[in-house]
Amino acid sequence: MAGIKGAAKLFESNLEPILGVAYGVAFHLTHNAADAEDLVQEAAVKSFCGFHNFQADTNFKAWFLKILTNAFFKRCKKKRCEPEIVDLEENSALYLYNQTCKAGLHKVSDDPATDLLRRIDAEHITAMMKLLPSEYQIVTVLYFMDEFSYQEIAEIIDCPVGTVRSRLHRSRKILQKLLWRVAEEQGIVSKYLNAQIPKENDRPNDLRGNIQAA
Amino acid sequence: MIDQMTCEETFRRLDDFLDHELSASECLLVQEHLEICTICAAEFKFEAGIWSEVRAKLQRTTVPPSLREKVTRLLRDTNCSDSTEK
Repeated sequence: MAGIKGAAKLFESNLEPILGVAYGVAFHLTHNAADAEDLVQEAAVKSFCGFHNFQADTNFKAWFLKILTNAFFKRCKKKRCEPEIVDLEENSALYLYNQTCKAGLHKVSDDPATDLLRRIDAEHITAMMKLLPSEYQIVTVLYFMDEFSYQEIAEIIDCPVGTVRSRLHRSRKILQKLLWRVAEEQGIVSKYLNAQIPKENDRPNDLRGNIQAA
Repeated sequence: MIDQMTCEETFRRLDDFLDHELSASECLLVQEHLEICTICAAEFKFEAGIWSEVRAKLQRTTVPPSLREKVTRLLRDTNCSDSTEK
Protein backbone atom coordinates (compact mmCIF):
# COMPACT_ATOMS: atom_id res chain seq x y z
CA MET A 1 0.00 0.00 0.00
CA ALA A 2 2.81 2.35 0.94
CA GLY A 3 4.44 1.47 -2.39
CA ILE A 4 1.39 2.51 -4.35
CA LYS A 5 1.09 5.75 -2.41
CA GLY A 6 4.79 6.43 -2.82
CA ALA A 7 4.66 5.82 -6.56
CA ALA A 8 1.58 8.01 -6.88
CA LYS A 9 3.31 10.82 -5.00
CA LEU A 10 6.44 10.53 -7.10
CA PHE A 11 4.36 10.48 -10.27
CA GLU A 12 2.38 13.55 -9.24
CA SER A 13 5.54 15.44 -8.29
CA ASN A 14 6.82 14.78 -11.82
CA LEU A 15 3.54 15.69 -13.47
CA GLU A 16 2.75 18.86 -11.55
CA PRO A 17 5.46 21.12 -13.06
CA ILE A 18 4.72 20.03 -16.64
CA LEU A 19 0.94 20.17 -16.51
CA GLY A 20 0.93 23.65 -18.06
CA VAL A 21 2.94 22.56 -21.10
CA ALA A 22 0.93 19.33 -21.39
CA TYR A 23 -2.35 21.22 -21.34
CA GLY A 24 -1.00 23.78 -23.84
CA VAL A 25 0.05 21.02 -26.25
CA ALA A 26 -3.30 19.25 -25.80
CA PHE A 27 -5.21 22.49 -26.34
CA HIS A 28 -3.40 23.36 -29.57
CA LEU A 29 -3.88 19.83 -30.87
CA THR A 30 -7.55 19.46 -30.00
CA HIS A 31 -8.46 23.17 -30.38
CA ASN A 32 -10.93 22.81 -27.60
CA ALA A 33 -10.59 23.26 -23.82
CA ALA A 34 -12.83 20.33 -22.88
CA ASP A 35 -11.09 17.91 -25.28
CA ALA A 36 -7.71 19.17 -24.07
CA GLU A 37 -8.65 18.42 -20.46
CA ASP A 38 -9.85 14.95 -21.47
CA LEU A 39 -6.65 14.28 -23.36
CA VAL A 40 -4.43 15.35 -20.46
CA GLN A 41 -6.44 13.17 -18.08
CA GLU A 42 -6.24 10.19 -20.42
CA ALA A 43 -2.48 10.66 -20.73
CA ALA A 44 -2.17 11.06 -16.96
CA VAL A 45 -3.88 7.73 -16.31
CA LYS A 46 -1.93 5.93 -19.04
CA SER A 47 1.41 7.28 -17.89
CA PHE A 48 0.58 6.65 -14.23
CA CYS A 49 -0.17 3.02 -15.01
CA GLY A 50 3.00 2.74 -17.06
CA PHE A 51 5.15 4.73 -14.64
CA HIS A 52 7.19 1.65 -13.75
CA ASN A 53 8.49 1.76 -17.33
CA PHE A 54 9.79 5.30 -16.93
CA GLN A 55 13.53 5.53 -16.38
CA ALA A 56 14.16 7.86 -13.45
CA ASP A 57 17.12 9.71 -14.98
CA THR A 58 15.38 10.49 -18.29
CA ASN A 59 13.11 13.32 -19.41
CA PHE A 60 9.69 12.89 -17.80
CA LYS A 61 8.17 15.72 -19.85
CA ALA A 62 9.19 14.13 -23.15
CA TRP A 63 7.98 10.73 -21.93
CA PHE A 64 4.62 12.13 -20.84
CA LEU A 65 4.14 14.09 -24.07
CA LYS A 66 4.87 10.98 -26.08
CA ILE A 67 1.99 9.24 -24.29
CA LEU A 68 -0.20 12.30 -24.77
CA THR A 69 0.52 12.62 -28.50
CA ASN A 70 -0.04 8.89 -29.00
CA ALA A 71 -3.41 9.21 -27.28
CA PHE A 72 -4.19 12.14 -29.56
CA PHE A 73 -3.28 10.14 -32.69
CA LYS A 74 -5.56 7.31 -31.57
CA ARG A 75 -8.42 9.74 -31.06
CA CYS A 76 -7.76 11.23 -34.47
CA LYS A 77 -7.97 7.83 -36.11
CA LYS A 78 -11.31 7.19 -34.42
CA LYS A 79 -12.75 10.63 -35.12
CA ARG A 80 -10.94 11.18 -38.42
CA CYS A 81 -10.10 14.71 -37.27
CA GLU A 82 -8.38 15.92 -40.40
CA PRO A 83 -7.72 19.65 -40.53
CA GLU A 84 -9.03 21.94 -43.22
CA ILE A 85 -6.85 21.61 -46.30
CA VAL A 86 -4.49 24.52 -46.39
CA ASP A 87 -2.77 25.76 -49.49
CA LEU A 88 0.61 24.04 -49.34
CA GLU A 89 1.98 25.82 -52.33
CA GLU A 90 5.61 26.46 -51.54
CA ASN A 91 6.42 30.04 -50.69
CA SER A 92 9.64 31.73 -49.75
CA ALA A 93 11.04 31.31 -46.26
CA LEU A 94 11.02 35.11 -46.22
CA TYR A 95 7.43 35.46 -47.39
CA LEU A 96 6.36 37.62 -44.46
CA TYR A 97 9.52 39.70 -44.59
CA ASN A 98 8.96 40.41 -48.26
CA GLN A 99 5.27 41.17 -47.82
CA THR A 100 5.91 43.58 -44.96
CA CYS A 101 8.64 45.26 -47.02
CA LYS A 102 6.31 45.65 -49.97
CA ALA A 103 3.62 47.06 -47.71
CA GLY A 104 6.09 49.65 -46.40
CA LEU A 105 6.17 48.44 -42.81
CA HIS A 106 9.96 48.51 -42.67
CA LYS A 107 9.96 52.19 -43.52
CA VAL A 108 8.05 53.14 -40.43
CA SER A 109 9.16 50.57 -37.90
CA ASP A 110 12.50 49.58 -36.43
CA ASP A 111 11.03 46.23 -35.42
CA PRO A 112 8.34 45.36 -37.99
CA ALA A 113 8.10 41.71 -36.90
CA THR A 114 7.15 42.59 -33.34
CA ASP A 115 4.96 45.50 -34.40
CA LEU A 116 3.01 43.25 -36.76
CA LEU A 117 2.70 40.23 -34.50
CA ARG A 118 1.68 42.24 -31.43
CA ARG A 119 -1.38 43.33 -33.40
CA ILE A 120 -2.46 39.81 -34.27
CA ASP A 121 -4.62 38.23 -31.58
CA ALA A 122 -3.48 35.04 -29.88
CA GLU A 123 -6.83 33.51 -30.94
CA HIS A 124 -5.92 33.97 -34.59
CA ILE A 125 -2.55 32.35 -34.07
CA THR A 126 -4.18 29.48 -32.22
CA ALA A 127 -6.64 29.09 -35.09
CA MET A 128 -3.75 28.90 -37.58
CA MET A 129 -2.45 25.75 -35.92
CA LYS A 130 -5.74 24.12 -36.80
CA LEU A 131 -5.12 24.75 -40.48
CA LEU A 132 -1.82 22.89 -40.58
CA PRO A 133 -1.84 19.27 -41.78
CA SER A 134 -1.87 17.07 -38.66
CA GLU A 135 1.67 15.73 -39.11
CA TYR A 136 2.97 19.31 -39.31
CA GLN A 137 0.71 20.48 -36.55
CA ILE A 138 2.07 18.15 -33.91
CA VAL A 139 5.70 19.04 -34.62
CA THR A 140 4.88 22.74 -34.65
CA VAL A 141 2.88 22.65 -31.43
CA LEU A 142 5.62 20.75 -29.61
CA TYR A 143 8.20 23.18 -30.97
CA PHE A 144 6.36 26.30 -29.88
CA MET A 145 5.05 25.07 -26.55
CA ASP A 146 8.45 24.20 -25.20
CA GLU A 147 12.14 24.51 -25.95
CA PHE A 148 12.41 21.01 -27.38
CA SER A 149 15.24 20.25 -29.76
CA TYR A 150 14.53 18.53 -33.09
CA GLN A 151 15.95 15.35 -31.54
CA GLU A 152 13.57 15.49 -28.58
CA ILE A 153 10.56 16.12 -30.83
CA ALA A 154 11.65 13.21 -33.01
CA GLU A 155 11.75 10.95 -29.95
CA ILE A 156 8.34 12.11 -28.76
CA ILE A 157 6.60 11.46 -32.05
CA ASP A 158 8.81 8.56 -33.08
CA CYS A 159 10.13 9.80 -36.40
CA PRO A 160 13.52 10.74 -37.86
CA VAL A 161 15.10 14.09 -36.93
CA GLY A 162 15.20 15.04 -40.62
CA THR A 163 11.43 14.65 -40.80
CA VAL A 164 10.97 16.96 -37.81
CA ARG A 165 13.28 19.50 -39.41
CA SER A 166 11.55 19.50 -42.79
CA ARG A 167 8.03 19.55 -41.31
CA LEU A 168 8.90 22.40 -39.01
CA HIS A 169 10.57 24.46 -41.72
CA ARG A 170 7.67 23.87 -44.10
CA SER A 171 5.16 24.60 -41.40
CA ARG A 172 6.79 27.96 -40.73
CA LYS A 173 6.44 28.83 -44.39
CA ILE A 174 2.73 28.02 -44.26
CA LEU A 175 2.31 29.98 -41.04
CA GLN A 176 3.92 33.02 -42.64
CA LYS A 177 1.31 32.93 -45.35
CA LEU A 178 -1.47 32.52 -42.80
CA LEU A 179 -0.12 35.33 -40.64
CA TRP A 180 -0.09 37.66 -43.61
CA ARG A 181 -3.59 36.59 -44.58
CA VAL A 182 -4.84 37.51 -41.10
CA ALA A 183 -2.92 40.79 -41.12
CA GLU A 184 -4.59 41.74 -44.40
CA GLU A 185 -8.05 40.54 -43.44
CA GLN A 186 -7.90 42.44 -40.17
CA GLY A 187 -6.53 45.57 -41.86
CA ILE A 188 -3.65 45.47 -39.38
CA VAL A 189 -0.97 46.75 -41.74
CA SER A 190 -3.00 49.62 -43.17
CA LYS A 191 -4.14 50.73 -39.72
CA TYR A 192 -0.58 50.57 -38.46
CA LEU A 193 0.82 52.48 -41.45
CA ASN A 194 -1.81 55.18 -41.19
CA ALA A 195 -0.84 55.78 -37.60
CA GLN A 196 2.90 56.07 -38.28
CA ILE A 197 5.32 58.73 -39.44
CA PRO A 198 8.04 57.38 -41.78
CA LYS A 199 11.48 56.95 -40.25
CA GLU A 200 13.91 59.68 -41.21
CA ASN A 201 16.49 58.92 -43.92
CA ASP A 202 14.78 55.67 -44.65
CA ARG A 203 15.59 53.47 -47.57
CA PRO A 204 13.02 53.51 -50.35
CA ASN A 205 12.50 49.77 -50.15
CA ASP A 206 13.96 47.14 -47.86
CA LEU A 207 13.54 44.21 -50.21
CA ARG A 208 16.65 42.19 -50.85
CA GLY A 209 18.25 43.38 -54.02
CA ASN A 210 17.02 46.94 -53.59
CA ILE A 211 19.13 47.77 -50.60
CA GLN A 212 22.17 49.78 -51.42
CA ALA A 213 25.24 49.43 -49.28
CA ALA A 214 25.68 52.48 -47.07
CA MET B 1 36.98 39.41 -39.33
CA ILE B 2 36.80 37.15 -42.36
CA ASP B 3 33.33 36.46 -43.70
CA GLN B 4 33.48 32.84 -44.78
CA MET B 5 29.83 32.38 -45.62
CA THR B 6 27.87 33.75 -48.53
CA CYS B 7 24.39 35.21 -48.10
CA GLU B 8 22.94 32.11 -49.74
CA GLU B 9 24.80 29.73 -47.44
CA THR B 10 23.74 31.77 -44.45
CA PHE B 11 20.13 31.92 -45.60
CA ARG B 12 20.05 28.13 -45.98
CA ARG B 13 20.90 27.88 -42.29
CA LEU B 14 18.35 30.43 -41.13
CA ASP B 15 15.87 27.99 -39.55
CA ASP B 16 18.50 25.79 -37.95
CA PHE B 17 20.26 28.87 -36.60
CA LEU B 18 17.08 30.21 -35.04
CA ASP B 19 16.38 26.80 -33.52
CA HIS B 20 19.91 26.44 -32.09
CA GLU B 21 20.37 23.33 -34.19
CA LEU B 22 23.67 24.30 -35.82
CA SER B 23 27.02 23.02 -34.64
CA ALA B 24 29.09 25.53 -32.67
CA SER B 25 31.42 26.11 -35.63
CA GLU B 26 28.56 26.65 -38.11
CA CYS B 27 26.83 28.93 -35.67
CA LEU B 28 29.95 31.04 -35.42
CA LEU B 29 30.21 31.32 -39.20
CA VAL B 30 26.60 32.48 -39.42
CA GLN B 31 27.13 34.99 -36.63
CA GLU B 32 30.22 36.35 -38.35
CA HIS B 33 28.29 36.79 -41.57
CA LEU B 34 25.42 38.52 -39.75
CA GLU B 35 27.82 40.99 -38.19
CA ILE B 36 28.99 42.01 -41.64
CA CYS B 37 25.88 41.67 -43.80
CA THR B 38 23.14 44.09 -42.77
CA ILE B 39 20.63 42.59 -45.21
CA CYS B 40 20.92 39.07 -43.80
CA ALA B 41 21.01 40.50 -40.28
CA ALA B 42 17.70 42.31 -40.88
CA GLU B 43 16.10 39.16 -42.31
CA PHE B 44 17.29 37.01 -39.41
CA LYS B 45 16.15 39.58 -36.85
CA PHE B 46 12.75 39.71 -38.52
CA GLU B 47 12.36 35.93 -38.53
CA ALA B 48 13.48 35.61 -34.92
CA GLY B 49 10.99 38.32 -33.94
CA ILE B 50 8.09 36.61 -35.72
CA TRP B 51 8.61 33.21 -34.15
CA SER B 52 9.34 34.56 -30.71
CA GLU B 53 6.00 36.44 -30.77
CA VAL B 54 4.14 33.41 -32.14
CA ARG B 55 5.64 31.27 -29.38
CA ALA B 56 4.70 33.80 -26.69
CA LYS B 57 1.11 33.95 -27.93
CA LEU B 58 0.72 30.19 -28.19
CA GLN B 59 2.12 29.72 -24.71
CA ARG B 60 -0.56 32.00 -23.32
CA THR B 61 -2.92 29.12 -22.61
CA THR B 62 -4.04 28.88 -19.01
CA VAL B 63 -4.52 25.54 -17.35
CA PRO B 64 -8.09 25.39 -16.03
CA PRO B 65 -7.81 25.50 -12.22
CA SER B 66 -10.01 22.42 -11.95
CA LEU B 67 -7.69 20.28 -14.09
CA ARG B 68 -5.05 19.73 -11.40
CA GLU B 69 -7.75 18.68 -8.99
CA LYS B 70 -9.38 16.39 -11.57
CA VAL B 71 -6.05 14.72 -12.34
CA THR B 72 -5.27 14.21 -8.65
CA ARG B 73 -8.70 12.70 -8.05
CA LEU B 74 -8.45 10.55 -11.16
CA LEU B 75 -5.08 9.15 -10.14
CA ARG B 76 -6.34 8.46 -6.65
CA ASP B 77 -9.24 6.48 -8.11
CA THR B 78 -7.16 4.73 -10.77
CA ASN B 79 -6.54 1.13 -10.05
CA CYS B 80 -3.65 -0.13 -12.08
CA SER B 81 -1.92 -2.93 -10.26
CA ASP B 82 1.34 -2.62 -12.21
CA SER B 83 1.95 1.09 -11.54
CA THR B 84 4.37 0.32 -8.70
CA GLU B 85 7.65 -1.51 -8.58
CA LYS B 86 7.39 -5.12 -7.64
